[in-house]
Amino acid sequence: MLTVGLLCVAMAEGAVRYRSQSAHNQIVVEDKGGYRMLRFNGSMETRLLIANPLLGHFEYTDYFQMPLLWNPKAKRVLVMGLGGGSTQRAFQGYYPTVHVDTVELDPAVAKVAKEWFGVKETKTHTIHISDGRGYLRRNKNRKYEAIMMDAYSSNTYGSFIPHHLATKEFFQLAAEDLTANGVLAYNVIGTYQEWRADIVGSMYRTMKTVFPHVYHFPAADSQNIVLLGVKANTGGLTSATLRARVDLLRRAQPKMPAYFGPRLARIRASAPPSAEQSPVLTDDHAPISKLLVPAK
Amino acid sequence: MNDNAPTPRGRTLALGALVLLGGFAVMVLEIVGARYLQPWFGGAFYVWTSQIGMVMLALALGYGVGGHMADRFKKARFLSLLLAPAGIFVLLIPQMAPGLLDGIVDRHVKSSAPALSAEPTASEAVRTGLVITETNLLAEIPKDFLEGKTNNAANNLPAPPIDEAPPSEIPAVWRKLDPAIGSALVFLFPCFVLAMISPFMVRLAARQVAHVGTVSGLVYAASTVGSIAGVFISAYVLIDLFTTTQIFQMTGALTLGLGGLCCLIDWQWPEDSQDD
Repeated sequence: MLTVGLLCVAMAEGAVRYRSQSAHNQIVVEDKGGYRMLRFNGSMETRLLIANPLLGHFEYTDYFQMPLLWNPKAKRVLVMGLGGGSTQRAFQGYYPTVHVDTVELDPAVAKVAKEWFGVKETKTHTIHISDGRGYLRRNKNRKYEAIMMDAYSSNTYGSFIPHHLATKEFFQLAAEDLTANGVLAYNVIGTYQEWRADIVGSMYRTMKTVFPHVYHFPAADSQNIVLLGVKANTGGLTSATLRARVDLLRRAQPKMPAYFGPRLARIRASAPPSAEQSPVLTDDHAPISKLLVPAK
Repeated sequence: MNDNAPTPRGRTLALGALVLLGGFAVMVLEIVGARYLQPWFGGAFYVWTSQIGMVMLALALGYGVGGHMADRFKKARFLSLLLAPAGIFVLLIPQMAPGLLDGIVDRHVKSSAPALSAEPTASEAVRTGLVITETNLLAEIPKDFLEGKTNNAANNLPAPPIDEAPPSEIPAVWRKLDPAIGSALVFLFPCFVLAMISPFMVRLAARQVAHVGTVSGLVYAASTVGSIAGVFISAYVLIDLFTTTQIFQMTGALTLGLGGLCCLIDWQWPEDSQDD
């Protein structure tokens, strides 16, 4: 038994540090090449550089800072999906005055994030164990400057958007919990042209039914596109207004990371090409499994 | 008693179709129903648990009560009297269920704190007809910032966060039981009625005690084959092609149709239904 175990570890060139099975996920923490990784049901959720936990994360999580352009002095933001807490660590490190509420479905994930990924519940970070949609529904008092969506269910076949967190009705609910200038950021796993392009197009169109302006950022090192839905219907970005927003944010958030600029440079404002033929998702009809079929 | 007279072939087929389509309808309700409940009860695990549990409960009740009723009433048209309201119930799920499910979820919302209703609505600003391209959006931003070469010097910190009342948490026990209550309210009644078909058909088809084994075996098999079809057709085809509203309407119409078939069986083969 021991030999088999050691052989497996040697083959993976990494060390499994922790393993558990919850009602929702099979969770594995693994150290490899100076990185710590979190896997749910075989699919990698998060990684960080053990020597500096603010580095080594997936680049797409950086785009969750973009809503601050509309809310340079944000007081409270909501992150759906904890994983290994990349977004939470970034906010605590670079925007220490922003209060982060995290909503995570699986209590076992919260436990692992705290024990192995340095996630802490502090005066400016609270974890709520709940379904994301249920949380928004029950929330009648708090308004958020930003809501970041990174709640996926994963298995060895990949990651899937829970359909009840991707419909027009969901975005209407989220918009109610945003401030007048609030922004919703959504991590969509997919590409513009081929792999899962239909889901990217559908998410864009669906968000556009609720948010007057939708911008998007294709991640540089992975197949993620972060969509940004802006609630205020006060005219879209122009070069002058974006410049002004950048200036305000740099003044309000002196600790913001140097990589913010290069990430912002990836902004896109026009509709993704797949949006035209992709359906709007509703509670009544959200054929997400059909959209995930690769395009011919 | 005419125990040895052959059962008309058409009647056997009609009884078989009833059992098969009944099993099909139950599983369409179970699979599509689990998905239907997710906007209210969220993450899949407890929704599936309660949906499976409640449908099994409906089957147990339907088998027990249905068998008893079959011995007592013997006529297939008795089933029509139950299948008709069950079909109408399923037809009306899209209209009736949301209010019930809202009630289950919203009872956890603590309404003591006043809602912040004074939020100003976004002004209807004139939308510029300007087509924004990515390059001109970034035109006025300093190049060194976009290249990540600068950092910020200013340090006027924003005000500390204000703590509003947190949203109410659902107690763990209700997180588990609420989906079961939802499943029961929406799916227990129609699945209960549909489950009564199988024992009823055993009673109608079995002419001799010596054949009860064969007949009941065939009824179980036909019902289960229908259920298997219901599972896969729902998950692989129906959910992609139709809205849940349409699927419930079709299943409701199917249930009404099964009620009609029961009447047809009594009308077409009256003598077979009456022997005792």
